[in-house]
Amino acid sequence: MTFPLRLRLLLIQLGVLLAVLATWYAATLPGGINHLLLPAPAPVFKDFGVLLTTGSIWPDLFVTVFEWIVAFAIAAVAGSVIGYLVSLTPYTVEVFDPLFAGLYSIPAILLFPLYLLFFGLGPASKIALGTTIAFFPIVLNTIAGLSCVDRAYITAARSMGANGLQLFWSVMLPAAFPVILTGARLGGVIAFLAILGGETISSLAGLGHRIVSLAENMDTEQMFANILFAVVLAVIINVTVSFAESRGKRWAH
Amino acid sequence: MVNSTEVVIRIEGVGQAFGEVGDPRRVVALESTSFEIARGELLCLIGPSGCGKSTLLNIIGGLATPTMGRVTIDGQPVRGPSPQKVAYVFQDNTLFPWRTVVDNVKLGMAFQGVPKAEHDDRAHESLKAVGLSEFAHHYPAQLSGGMRQRAQLARALGLRTEILLMDEPFAALDEQTRLLLGEDLSALLATTAKTIVFVTHSLVEAVFLADRVAVLTARPGKVKKIIDVDEGHPRKSTFMTSPKLSALRNELYELLHDEIRKTITLGEAEAST
Amino acid sequence: MGALNDRRPKRLKPGYARLLVIAGMLLVWEVGARFFADPLFASPPSAAFLALGGLFADPKIVHAIEITIFEMVAAFVMAVALGLSIGLAVGLQGFTKAAVMPIVLLLYTIPQATLLPLFVLSFGIGPEAKIAFGVSQSIFPVIITTVAGVANLRPALLTAARSMGASRLQIFSAIVFPHMIPSFFTGMRIAMTAVLLGVLLAELYVSTAGIGYYTRLFAQTFKPAELFALIAVLATIAVTLNELCRMAERHFSRWQYAGA
Repeated sequence: MTFPLRLRLLLIQLGVLLAVLATWYAATLPGGINHLLLPAPAPVFKDFGVLLTTGSIWPDLFVTVFEWIVAFAIAAVAGSVIGYLVSLTPYTVEVFDPLFAGLYSIPAILLFPLYLLFFGLGPASKIALGTTIAFFPIVLNTIAGLSCVDRAYITAARSMGANGLQLFWSVMLPAAFPVILTGARLGGVIAFLAILGGETISSLAGLGHRIVSLAENMDTEQMFANILFAVVLAVIINVTVSFAESRGKRWAH
Repeated sequence: MVNSTEVVIRIEGVGQAFGEVGDPRRVVALESTSFEIARGELLCLIGPSGCGKSTLLNIIGGLATPTMGRVTIDGQPVRGPSPQKVAYVFQDNTLFPWRTVVDNVKLGMAFQGVPKAEHDDRAHESLKAVGLSEFAHHYPAQLSGGMRQRAQLARALGLRTEILLMDEPFAALDEQTRLLLGEDLSALLATTAKTIVFVTHSLVEAVFLADRVAVLTARPGKVKKIIDVDEGHPRKSTFMTSPKLSALRNELYELLHDEIRKTITLGEAEAST
Repeated sequence: MGALNDRRPKRLKPGYARLLVIAGMLLVWEVGARFFADPLFASPPSAAFLALGGLFADPKIVHAIEITIFEMVAAFVMAVALGLSIGLAVGLQGFTKAAVMPIVLLLYTIPQATLLPLFVLSFGIGPEAKIAFGVSQSIFPVIITTVAGVANLRPALLTAARSMGASRLQIFSAIVFPHMIPSFFTGMRIAMTAVLLGVLLAELYVSTAGIGYYTRLFAQTFKPAELFALIAVLATIAVTLNELCRMAERHFSRWQYAGA
């Protein structure tokens, strides 16, 4: 893209952002939208600043991030191991792959009440939800990655005398890695969103729960500030995860 | 260079068929074929599409099992891949894209079982032999087609096998690169004592590179005739333009013409069923 | 080496093998829940199946399920209609596209669950909130895929049509519309998934009415069989709607508008 065009685009986007902020400000002027539904931008940003500087949000943040990491770890291990086992023969792939794909089409949030019943209101039910949701893209992509390795690589390695272990570690795994990594990224992102959802529905702690409490107390200014925080967090997670994915895929241009 | 008439590879009555006798879909890729390959010679296998030359190469290398007959190398029957004796250069690029060129060469050695301490020196020696020393730390995606094939050759050379099997290694390259690589290959082979079986479609390439050219018939393939190319290695570019090469090329063409014609009518017959 | 040379032992067709696996899993669950689990926390599938009858016998529960289906369909239709209009309006005009798309993408990054309490605050605990939330979840994929679908329309085609005197409507129906159908149906499929998720999320959140009331009731009174039966019903509805959209997408993508 040529420089002036790029600049123009950037200016338009900046202009749009400012327009949105201006509209927000205008809407909340006296006589506009009820402040209980839409607080004015200034106090929201002030609260947001306070959130960042004081440690009030850390306990809830910690709970959410903890739930996310544990859920992702379990899903990653389970997904990749099961995916590996399924990929061992074309027959098992044919049997199990559609099974997993079919289960994936069921909205996992429906399982959450069962998890609440079984695990209670604590982090375990959220972790269970996150694990369930993140499991599927990981297992499906592991199966796809490992079973679609170009036969030419395997033939070449065999011709050079590679044994089973060498074939797996030095050929199949690196070949499948980009696809598996994409599954991991997808799983990580939707696990985070699912956990926030679970915390919103029923929880004792965590970012989602925090926002719900503020809503119940009609403290919409704080709530907006916390939503903003959650957005920033989601963006950071998205960027980090995408970055990790592209680093891992360096060679597969 | 053929430094002896000692036979190293014996192909004895090798045949390859897919499907049971009586099955209308049965395909006979190779009919009982027998010939010998001497130590240190470069033998080209040439024939029309589908004549089974790649199949024959895979059987020699142990990547395929014949339904009839057998192959022996140094008197030992071939039962599977023999990485200590046979190295391959494939037509499709089989360099592992997630590793650099030098790491690819080293990985081949690791598969074969070369002790780790020797990897470095051997790898750099092989890369130097093919002229890729400067590109050792590049990834395959960063190389041109010709360079990738040279890297594959380096990987095969690094295995220090006595036999090299090359399955249309230059097929995906443009003609000019092919000619140059052909010359480089010939120069390389003048200094090493390898036995090479080289599958190709190109008549000129076959005559230019080979000590002998085995012409295969249309499917079911078998050896129609083996032509001698009495010319020392390294083959110079003067050989390329010599009347001797033209004469041999013409002889090959005459042998192949009917087979190619047969293959096309075979294909038409198959397509209409 | 060739399927004709395969001397594999005769095997169960994958479809049957799959059914066997599912049956096996149900069996393990049945045995596990019956003999090893506390009946307050887990129930075997047989009990859940039996509880289905009781569920459907209760008119209030049936009503709640019906309302949920209504919310899903309503939210979907609205999201598609709105998304399509906005997507077309934005996608066809270069300037509005550059201006509006950043807003769309910005809004899309907000984790939807965090806005749920706000929606309920604004719309109350009735179907309006759930429909609104469902729409908010699913309108963005429709806009984005519609814009993408129109994006690679060659301007030369539009110019040619205009030069032949085609009216705006004619241009739209003969060129623009067929061109973006495949991406539109993809967007619809994604939107359906999002609507299901959004409506269910909202329903489960509002535990004082609708389905959410019953999920909370069954959970709090330790009735895993009833809870599971209810979830199974909702899951079946969700999968059916999803599958319908998937089939529609496959059908309409078959006459892909190539090379336009």
